[in-house]
Formats: sequence, C-alpha cells, structure tokens
Amino acid sequence: MKYLILGASAAGLSAAETIRRQDHRGELTVVSGDHYIYSRCLLPDVLAGRRDAGAARFVPKDFMELRGIRWIGGVKAEKLWPGEKAVVTDTGEKFYYDKLLIATGASSFLPPVENIDRGRQVYGLRSLEDVQAITEASGNCPGALVMGGGLVGVDTAAALNEKGLAVAIVEAAGQMLPLQLDRRAASRYEELLKAHGIKIITGAMVSSILLDEGQNVTGARLNDGRVVPCGLVVCAAGVRPNLSFLEGTAVEIGRGVRVNQYQETSLTDIYAAGDVCESLETFTGQFSPTPIWPLAVRQGQVAGTNMAGGHRKMTNNFAYKNSMSFYGLNTISYGLPEAPDDSYQTYIEEGMGSYKKVIVKNGCLKGAIFQGDITRAGVIGALIRENFPAKTPGGSLFDLSYAHFFSQREDGQFVYDKTFSTEF
Amino acid sequence: MRRIFIRPELCAGCKNCQVACLAEHSPAPSVWLVNLSDRGSRPRNFVELNAAGRPVPLSCRHCEDPECVAACMSGALSKDPLTGVVAHDPEQCAGCWMCVMSCPFGMIAPGAGEKSIVKCDLCVDRGSPRCVEACPTGAITLVKGIPPQGNKEQAIQVVGGVKQ
Repeated sequence: MKYLILGASAAGLSAAETIRRQDHRGELTVVSGDHYIYSRCLLPDVLAGRRDAGAARFVPKDFMELRGIRWIGGVKAEKLWPGEKAVVTDTGEKFYYDKLLIATGASSFLPPVENIDRGRQVYGLRSLEDVQAITEASGNCPGALVMGGGLVGVDTAAALNEKGLAVAIVEAAGQMLPLQLDRRAASRYEELLKAHGIKIITGAMVSSILLDEGQNVTGARLNDGRVVPCGLVVCAAGVRPNLSFLEGTAVEIGRGVRVNQYQETSLTDIYAAGDVCESLETFTGQFSPTPIWPLAVRQGQVAGTNMAGGHRKMTNNFAYKNSMSFYGLNTISYGLPEAPDDSYQTYIEEGMGSYKKVIVKNGCLKGAIFQGDITRAGVIGALIRENFPAKTPGGSLFDLSYAHFFSQREDGQFVYDKTFSTEF
Repeated sequence: MRRIFIRPELCAGCKNCQVACLAEHSPAPSVWLVNLSDRGSRPRNFVELNAAGRPVPLSCRHCEDPECVAACMSGALSKDPLTGVVAHDPEQCAGCWMCVMSCPFGMIAPGAGEKSIVKCDLCVDRGSPRCVEACPTGAITLVKGIPPQGNKEQAIQVVGGVKQ
C-alpha cells in the first residue's frame, strides 16, 4: 500500500503516526511545502525571540526515521491527477498513491486592500520563512502595523513589541479578539497591550498601504482617513485553505475541501484533514473550516485510521474553543462569547483577579469565558460540547467540577454519562 | 497499563492524597518541608465535593486516547505507548493552555506564574503513586494490567493501596 500525505503539520503528521501504527509495511511518504517541521502556533514565540526556531518542532527529531517515513520538505503539490492516482509537485516530480491525504493547511488571507500585493514589507505569520522575513524587515523599521486583532494578530503584536518595535493593531470590530471574547474580557487585554505601548485601533480597517517609489511600506491609510506610519505590515485577517492544486479536479470544495465524518473527500481514496478542509462542526451543526490545532490532530488520526483500512468516525468536531495567554493573563473560552438574544441567560462571577461568565439556554450551556483562574474550565467546555443539561442555579455553575458528573467505566476511564441527569 | 482507581464511597475527604502529592513534587519530598505559602505548591490531584456534598478524589486518567496530547501544539505532552503514562516535558511547554482547555475532566491546571502545567505523572520515578500510599481508606488504589477499551473479561489486579 502506498500512502501519500501532503503536509507535515498537525494533521499530516498525526495521520502518518496513526497509519504507521496500523500498517507497519506500507510505503509512507510525506510531502510538504515547509522545509522544516514546526508548530505554527509557536511562530510568535520564535518571532519574539522567546524560543529558538529548532524548539518550534512539535515531534521528536527521529519521528520520521523511527516510523520509516519518507519525508520530502520544501516541495509543493501543484496538480492532482485523480485518474492516475498521482500528485505532481512544483519540482516536476510525480508521486503515486493508493491513499492520499490532503493536509496542506492554509495561508494568510490578504484582504482586498490597495497595494497589499505590491508592498515589499507585507507579511503573514504562517511559516518560519515569514518569521525570518519579518525579523529582517524589522531591523531598521520605525514601526509595524498588524491587520486584525484576533489571536494571531494580538500574539504577533506582542511579539513585535517585545522586539522593540512601535506596534499598532487595526481591528474592524469594536474590540480586540471579537470571535473569542466578550467586551469585558477583551478590555483587560486591551489595557495590557496599551500599557506595553501597543496602539489599538478598533472599528476601522486599512484601506490602502502607502508605498514609496521603491515599493517600500511607509504607512497605512485607514477607512476613516487616518494615516498610521509604519515600515512593515503583518496580515492577521484570517486564513484561506491551500487547495489551488485541486483546480480542475472533481474534488468537492466549499470553504475548504469538503469531507464527511470519515475525513473522506468526494473522490475515492482521497482524504483531507486540518485547516485545508471543511467538515461538519459540532457546535453549529454546519459545514465549516475548523482551524484549530486539536481538531487538525484528531482529523488526521481519523483520516489515518481509515486510510489504513480502519473505520473511525470523527466525533467531537468542536471548533469553538480558544485558549490564550498574553502578558501573564490567561483566558479560555468556549461556544458563544455573548448571548445573542433574551432567550439566553448570562451568569457572571468576578473577584480575585478572575472574570468568569457562562451563557445558558434551556438548561444547556452555550458559552463560557474563564479569565484569570482557568482551572477546571475543561469541565464547562465538555458540557458545552456535549450539550449536556446542567440544570443548576446559575451562580453555582462556576463551582462545577467533574465530581458532579463522576462516572467511570470498568477500566477506570472517566465518562460523561448522558443518562445521568444533573439537577442540583 | 496502570491507573488509579477511585471508589468515592470510601473517601473520607481527608485530603491526605493532596498533601502527599504536594510533598512528592516539592524540592524536598517531605510533608514537613512543603512550603504551603508558595503559590507554586499545587497538588496534581483534587478532592472535590459532588452535588450531595460528598468528597470525590480525582486525578488524571492517563486516557487511552488523551485529548490533552491531541491538543498539545508544542509536543510537550506525549503518551508513552508502553507504560501508558501521559507525560509532560516542561522544557517544551509553551504555556498555551490548550490542554487545560481540552481535558473534559478538568484534570490539568496551569502552573502558578510559569509557563508550565500541573498534572499527575503517576509518580513514575517512584514505583507507586504517593497519593495511593497515603490514602487511609482505599478510596484510591493503583490497578495495573488494565485491558484496553475496558474489556470486562480480563481480570484486573490491585497492586497498591488498601484492598477492600
């Protein structure tokens, strides 16, 4: 059996590991655009100088060798030939497969802003090469502008600030981290960012990037007319899946490669996992991208199992969870950050430097934010994911621990028993 | 594979297990020398009250298919295929708290003021978990030879703690 995996990040490598556990003999090849293996989530740490590039690796050095995996780095898939069961790369090589996994990930989305594709110092933060380019550009740079105040944007801004650059973040919404946090939780980060000298601009968008004759970035003009001087721009305005090599094929594509619960694409023997795919997301019940690390790993494991002849279904495809830590303030959030209407109840507990909030509808938890003290947040996360009825007086929701749901299998594994009614 | 089995009905809520855990993971592993005023002194196990106000001793299950390991983006958490222990490498940890977020049972806590986590290591260097040795009632016992996926047919063997 010939397995071909495109991509060497969370989804690709977890699939490779899973395949090898089930099939000791099959020929296993991983081809990735990346020259090195590293965790994208650690790039801000590398940029800030908190961690060496080498320590951004998330698998042991001998990962490939131990598993007899042929790894070809720095090579991009250029065209898929499903009829021939082959992938052609940008080096002109042709790789044949019996089972193919598309785990090519996603790239920074460049919003439609004037000059964004012409400016010489416009970057994303998706690769070690990006880190290197930003580091070089920041050498004699008066300041940096980060487009987007989401997790990547704030992480990047803090890293650039730590390097000594003057940094501004521009976020279209009225607050930082609008997808993850409510106003109250976001405001504590905004205060911390400001205290460290980072300029925060909310409710505005960059309308054009200002360039000199040499196409060097000199600033950005906002849609309200303001001009922010800067020498480099980092785009942190979301990602788009890397699937141009699928053009002209019958692989079904929505906002990513469409997969079913077995991580199968619309074509036989072709699977997809991680940021490149769209799947049935648990919280919304809709097909959507699920661009978080834990799900990329899980989807990779499911795809790997099924590629090696197993039969495993993706469960708990719950993408509405976030964790963050900026300037020593920790936050974990799940589900909705705000109650959408009056049919939801919101409970808040504050004190000892912590802010906790849960959102309930019809006795079920629909959202939660834990800021400061994040211990045991996972229990609330599990209740939201499982849509578990927790008919309890609002305030005491914060006291819930697994002791309230304690139930173990005969092998001692904890479980959430759905037949168990939690009225207390 | 080894696991700490829990019989909440036997728990007296004495928290001896928590003190034992604290001591074992402090610089001088003695109950007398634990610095309780140090914010870093945090046991890796929990005794929590359930809805009826009864204590339940809880600790990491070292799950067969651990959510925390799947969530770990730095490679700091790994499951040993031989011992089954879910181990944590503080050198590699980025303090992203995705494991805290992902453990459905709330068994991982962030370390105090550092980029590292507080999580049961089953006292791998010790032979048997100190919490189990410290339990006077048999509410927690070490069981080894756990069959995968909870196969009822295979017998399990109690190797530590008080047999009931």
